[in-house]
Amino acid sequence: MSDTDLKLDMLRKMLMVRHLENAWGDAYLNEEIGGIPPALSTGQEAVSVGACLALEDGDYVFTTHRGQAPQVARGLDPNRIMAELYCRLPGYNKGKSYHVTDFDRGVVGMGGIVAGQVPVAGGMALAQKLKGTDRVSICFFGDGASNEGVVHETANLASIWDLPLIMICENNGYCISLPVSREINTAHIADRAAAYGIPGVVVDGNDPVAVHQAVSEAVRRARSGGGASLIEAETTRMGGHLAHDPQRYRPREEIEAARAACPIKRFSARLQEEGLLTADGFSAMEAEVVREIEAAVAFARQAPTPPAAEAFEDLWA
Amino acid sequence: MIDRRLFRPAAKPPPEQQDWPTFRGAINEAMREEMRRDPYVFQMGEDIALAPPFGVTAGLVKEFGVERIRDMPCSEAAVVGAACGAAMGGMRPIVEFQFGDFLSVAIDQLTHQAAMLRYLTGGQVKVPLVIRLPCGGGQGAGSQHSQTLYSWFAHVPGIKVALPATSMEAKGLMKSAIRDDNPVLFFEHKGLYRTRWPVTEAYQDPDFLVPFGQALVRRTGDDITVVATLAMVHYAMQAAEELAGQGISVEVIDPRTLAPLDADTIIDSVRKTGRLLVVDEAYLTCGIQGEIMARVTESAFEALKRPPRRLGNPGVPVPFEPSLEDTVLPTKDKIAAAIREMTG
Repeated sequence: MSDTDLKLDMLRKMLMVRHLENAWGDAYLNEEIGGIPPALSTGQEAVSVGACLALEDGDYVFTTHRGQAPQVARGLDPNRIMAELYCRLPGYNKGKSYHVTDFDRGVVGMGGIVAGQVPVAGGMALAQKLKGTDRVSICFFGDGASNEGVVHETANLASIWDLPLIMICENNGYCISLPVSREINTAHIADRAAAYGIPGVVVDGNDPVAVHQAVSEAVRRARSGGGASLIEAETTRMGGHLAHDPQRYRPREEIEAARAACPIKRFSARLQEEGLLTADGFSAMEAEVVREIEAAVAFARQAPTPPAAEAFEDLWA
Repeated sequence: MIDRRLFRPAAKPPPEQQDWPTFRGAINEAMREEMRRDPYVFQMGEDIALAPPFGVTAGLVKEFGVERIRDMPCSEAAVVGAACGAAMGGMRPIVEFQFGDFLSVAIDQLTHQAAMLRYLTGGQVKVPLVIRLPCGGGQGAGSQHSQTLYSWFAHVPGIKVALPATSMEAKGLMKSAIRDDNPVLFFEHKGLYRTRWPVTEAYQDPDFLVPFGQALVRRTGDDITVVATLAMVHYAMQAAEELAGQGISVEVIDPRTLAPLDADTIIDSVRKTGRLLVVDEAYLTCGIQGEIMARVTESAFEALKRPPRRLGNPGVPVPFEPSLEDTVLPTKDKIAAAIREMTG
């Protein structure tokens, strides 16, 4: 893929994440769907998009509860993602779970337990190493999860065993209502990499190109037997922790500043400055994405819910 | 019968037992055979390569190397998670815990990840892994090294639980566990490791498997059904032998796996004897003993001549001091006394 095509693909995928999630959030807010409110990655799209576009077929990503961005970024079918989020049978997990997974395409939906996905991703990296492949695994986790014990244990294991694992900490500034400055007493989470003996870098998580570069380098190292990396992507949560969260704990000006610094607006403007895209081109791109998401919502709405018998399926292999 | 000097040098076996395989040797042999048969089987554990604490993995590193007999740091949670991920990636990990009690620090990775991911993904992944858990009291190993915590795990969906009592089960259940496509907890009573047991010819067959969910009637009898597990099987057998001389006919059933549980064999037996005693080292409250009693009373209440009874740890940490340990845990004499009361 040419550099231009890559950048346009990034922008298109970021738009796809945004509109897919907006539609999902709306479906919750207008009571079309129930259950636990959606965890949206509005404002954080560049992290997953930049990271996942550095992967190849056969690589794996392990998502968090805020996991729709990697699904879209790895090219999953929006109809089946939306069907899953609407709890409908044609969804990727037969409409039975929030954790959209397409194992054949290397997307494992996790995150019901904060940081629970991190050691599992390490195990997948171990499997690839033991099988002698050069496939890598990415685990996403948040700044909140970075304080869970399994993250440290896994980073240490990945270091001593040279696992092809890329640990991406999506630092969105908040652990629900707790600002990162009150959950961590160091400048950067990536600083911890030194303690594990693996490379650690901080990148602008709102710039998909910067994320892509950092992840590509980590992937190259992992594929060639150079072991694990920790990448901290600094990003911004434009919305609440979940779709219904009014964020009363957060200064108004900060939310407004986050919205003004929207990574999609920023990246679109950059591509226009670089002459890769016109304003009309962007509008056309967005209109096409909106149509695709509307079709996904229509698909999900008409799809059946899983039959009662499905409650008892898929426990045992 | 049950080794209470586990941390001391082994005594020379009596001449008639010399050719019988030890319990730990049977597990070792099962793992060796399966690792030869299947290159995707590998192991992780603390000190398993060069200094296995109970000797179960002794010698395996020579044949299979340090990649497949992989020493791990003290990171039980991450290693159980890594076993889950490796299993999803096509491997068949076996994890040894130095003491089964330590699984407490890795519960999330076991119950929420390994045991649930198949269900959560709508059947897209499978998680074939075995966790080996040295367990049980009688060695003065202390409260945090002596428990039998399978009730915690048989309680949740998605986990199989194997409880071997002799070398036959140690080998046959282990081979079934390794070949199973689901997470399996394999509880090994520490008091059995160095004990020796006669085996049949089938034991030598490379495809000798003890199926899960099939209880074994170890002794037939007419007056009472005693269900016992792990080391308690042998205490129950001793008590039954002793009581046979006093005219009490005891049927002893070893479930061999708790999940799945072969309730039918137990229920059929109770329909014959009319009495049920369940013996296990587990804490009685919410213990597996109560679950077995519930299954029987739901199905065969009318067959019961006496209220069913259970023996177990009444609900204190397993004491360190040997006589206190015997005070708390079931023994041959306590089993015999309970049988006498129930049949008298």
